[in-house]
Amino acid sequence: MTASELPTIYSITESEIDLNDLLEKITLTSTGAAAIFTGMVRGVTTRGDAHETEYLEYESYVPMAEAKMKQVADEIRERWPVIEGIAVVQRIGKLYPKTPTVLIACTAAHRDTGVFDAARYGIDRLKEIVPVWKKEIGPNGQEWVEGDYIPKPGE
Amino acid sequence: MNHIKLLFFATIRDRAGVRSMEMDIPADMTIAGLKEKLSVDYPNLKESMRSVLMTINREYAFDEAVVPANAEIGMFPPVSGG
Repeated sequence: MTASELPTIYSITESEIDLNDLLEKITLTSTGAAAIFTGMVRGVTTRGDAHETEYLEYESYVPMAEAKMKQVADEIRERWPVIEGIAVVQRIGKLYPKTPTVLIACTAAHRDTGVFDAARYGIDRLKEIVPVWKKEIGPNGQEWVEGDYIPKPGE
Repeated sequence: MNHIKLLFFATIRDRAGVRSMEMDIPADMTIAGLKEKLSVDYPNLKESMRSVLMTINREYAFDEAVVPANAEIGMFPPVSGG
């Protein structure tokens, strides 16, 4: 199978992230392992600036975000050619503590193929270049969360 | 003159007070020139211009890039998804 025939899912959605559905879509008959990262809204933060969160409000520049998610998937395939399926999904809208907000899943024939590193790379890269922002609403008001990564030419 | 569309997100949208606007700019205007023009025309945006990320037709763009006709320009702070 060539890379273009392998299942690659990338989307910004306002709907609940359905892990089972995504996993089924990126599992081939040759697949024996999946590494899945999902992030959720943290209600209580203790590391660093300790605070509580009532909810997060996410927004996105959707067409660019989906194009950049595809780019992240392409970069994963370039670095780990053994990866079979890739799913990159970001949920937007108003999201409450314990709710999954993002999911990166990579599948491969075996677990010792770099599949864990591939998923890790995917979430790190998403947080660098995919245009999504969140506003944090807590007991003391609201504040936009700003990242610190400045993309370079070609990214 | 080139007609362009600007899209604002997150903090930049809050300061601009609108989600988008259209304008005509000189045909040879660069991203740096556009930022300068916006700082002058919209003083609320001036402070944002130092850290804003700019895109041309959904790709990241940098100060020296010339803005093409009918460009879709995105303006936003460093991303914070996940």
